Amino acid sequence: MQQFSHAYPPVMTAMSDSPDPEVAARQLAEALYHPELAGVMFFCSAEYALPELAAALNRAFAGVPLVGCTTAGEITPRGYDRGTLVGLGFHRRWFSLESALIAELEDFSLPQAQQQVDSLISRIRQREDQSTSGRFFAMTLLDGLSSQEELVLVALDSALGSIPHFGGSAGDDVQLAGTHVFSQGAFHTRAAVLTLVRTSLDFEVFTTHHMQSLATKLVVTQADPASRRVTELNAEPAAEVYARMLGLQPQQLNPKVFALHPLAVKLGQEYYVRSIQKVNEDLSLTFYCAVGNGMVLTAMQPQPILPDLERRFAEIEARIGAPMITLGCDCFLRRLETEHLDSLDEASAFFRHHRVVGFNTYGEHFDGVHINQTFTGVVIGGVDNR
Amino acid sequence: MSVIDQKRQDALQALQEENQRLKKINVALIERVEAGSAVNAAPYAAFEHSAALAEQVRERTEALSVAMAELRQTNQALKQANLSRSKFLAAVSHDLLQPLNAARLFTGALLDQVTEGDLELLAHSIHRSLQDVDSLLGTLVDMSRLDAGVIKPDISVFRLSDLLDNLATEFHQISEAEQRQFSYCSSSVVVSTDLVLLARILRNFLTNAVRYTPVGGRILLGSRRRGASVEIQVLDTGVGIAEDQLERIFEEFQRIKPEPGLQDRGLGLGLAIVDKIAGMLAHPVRVNSIAGRGSLFSVCLPLAEPDALPSLPSHQQGTDQQVIQGSRVWVLDNDPAICTAMYSLLTGWGCEVRTALRVTELQHCFASEPEGPALLIADYHLDGEESGLEAVKRLQSQYGSQAAVLMITANHTNVLRQHVRGLGYRMLNKPVKPLKLKVTLAHLLRQALTPGQG
Repeated sequence: MQQFSHAYPPVMTAMSDSPDPEVAARQLAEALYHPELAGVMFFCSAEYALPELAAALNRAFAGVPLVGCTTAGEITPRGYDRGTLVGLGFHRRWFSLESALIAELEDFSLPQAQQQVDSLISRIRQREDQSTSGRFFAMTLLDGLSSQEELVLVALDSALGSIPHFGGSAGDDVQLAGTHVFSQGAFHTRAAVLTLVRTSLDFEVFTTHHMQSLATKLVVTQADPASRRVTELNAEPAAEVYARMLGLQPQQLNPKVFALHPLAVKLGQEYYVRSIQKVNEDLSLTFYCAVGNGMVLTAMQPQPILPDLERRFAEIEARIGAPMITLGCDCFLRRLETEHLDSLDEASAFFRHHRVVGFNTYGEHFDGVHINQTFTGVVIGGVDNR
Repeated sequence: MSVIDQKRQDALQALQEENQRLKKINVALIERVEAGSAVNAAPYAAFEHSAALAEQVRERTEALSVAMAELRQTNQALKQANLSRSKFLAAVSHDLLQPLNAARLFTGALLDQVTEGDLELLAHSIHRSLQDVDSLLGTLVDMSRLDAGVIKPDISVFRLSDLLDNLATEFHQISEAEQRQFSYCSSSVVVSTDLVLLARILRNFLTNAVRYTPVGGRILLGSRRRGASVEIQVLDTGVGIAEDQLERIFEEFQRIKPEPGLQDRGLGLGLAIVDKIAGMLAHPVRVNSIAGRGSLFSVCLPLAEPDALPSLPSHQQGTDQQVIQGSRVWVLDNDPAICTAMYSLLTGWGCEVRTALRVTELQHCFASEPEGPALLIADYHLDGEESGLEAVKRLQSQYGSQAAVLMITANHTNVLRQHVRGLGYRMLNKPVKPLKLKVTLAHLLRQALTPGQG
């Protein structure tokens, strides 16, 4: 038995590009399933018929804890992909996983967060015999259209304390119609999944972006925080001001423009990109993140994406060795920009080389902060790296 | 309205609109500033709050990861040191050293006084047995000290022949007594290493060579220059080592089964010690062997410039016995057995000896003989709070004594050694061997006779 279980690596990855939920789930299970699975994390295209996919996954992975979400594009072992199902299987000799569904985002409070985190930690500790001493990290998957990221994350952050945290907001291929997270055997909207992982392997949670600040500053003079809408910048219609700054007409604005000309908030020494989701008919701008009156936005200039990623990976790999796996939350606007620059193949090669799997998000989470247009994730080192 | 008026009117209106906008911006900014970083239900405030927290966490995480890296290293060293065993060994060895020390001093005195017949034979047997115990214990102490990481190299520059000549003399005698042929090629190169630790390595090589070479076999001690380093080699025509055993011989408590008739008094720690010392000094050790034909053990160390040699001590004058004869030597030790043994030994060498169990007794000595001793031997460990070192320092200055000082201690740390050396004193480790004591006494007394040296 012991020898048998050792035949499986600590983390396995697999994908299926079949649009048929039944086939996709089966192919994933065939590649990932083994008796020592601690849990499976998956990311699926929003094109799948979700109830059918849920049923198929539950059958294929009977008895294995499953968490996942819909995407705005997947990163599979092949690189950037679309219309696919990608998954990671964790071996219980090296990993303990426990997850909790947060079904009521609107009412999520610190005491609830505290209780959730405590119960996950104690569940992991109770299984001490199975695995693993080691360190914890937390991953959040959140409905990307819920507008609740900031409040949920600030509560979780306080409860998580010093446990490193990252995550991503679920996407729906830029349909902006419905994003879903998967937990307890079903897809949910207006919900989040918190997963706590303990591993004896070396790992590093990180985030990186490729933006440089420009001189232009815009002040939000009128906003509707509840709908994340900015109606006025510098006391003029928001879309007009933003378009004028770029020498464009408001009707020329689209996600590609947003990707190439982001705005950011400066807090301390850090710039936090606040990504624009869409232009509304009243010339207001809807954002992917919280907005408020008096918020000062700085125009940003993207730098080449891959050299920045390469630098970041080099730093991390110098510390923990070559990654066995990198679980990445990559903002879909970065993918858009990469597409626009015609470098998808190059990026895919980079992801394959650094063993990145993950998905394109509607926003990333890092240490309790909701961020946009970043690459955020965890690099997990190999068994021999320690 | 004239065109100019119209233009003015437009400009005025533009300014008024601009003014309105600025006012609005101002209001929005004031609102934001006044909201401060208070955590309330506003999502944007929550974002600001968590971003500020994350910033702090990042700083702390960086500090933490530095500390973690250090911890990891320490942890590694601790594991390797196998601390509990080492501590046990060190404690046991330390407790054994004290009585052994007394026993060796007693037999030294006995040997000097017994000069005939069966008694002399018996005395020599006791002496040899004690030597064996001593060397076994020394090995255990060395091993535990190496494991515990308390041995730190003390690098100096010296002429290799200074060390090899002495070793050759010693092992020439041993080989002869054991009926093996011993050859030696001297070398004039200057090297940079820890003399004591290098001697330990070579002594282990040579002891093994004698142990595993049958009667009539040959042993060679020599060296070869290799670029910027020199390789010291010990060759023998002994039993050799099978190829599959070569890796294992450097592990602890590993011994090649000695051939019948070969004497065997080792613990199997010799090469493990060599391995640890060589690792610490970063001197590569090489072994080459053919089973049944013989072995070559060697260690490689860096050469140094002859300019780097410290100036040579003045020529020694007179034999040790002549120098010691008649000198005033005082002994401070809280163990009556040691005092008695020292008294017998030193009087046997013709010294005028006074012993003291306590500092107060030593003060009486100073009071009755104000010129003080030529040489003061003190145990570092006394009963009181004061160490022997402190006591001696205090008395020296109190009575204006210029006596040379020899500290005896079972504390083998380099820190203490350097501290003692820094005061211009000498130090000997327990158990004190009579011959070593005699040489050291003579050396100290010679130095006292030639001012400016030391």
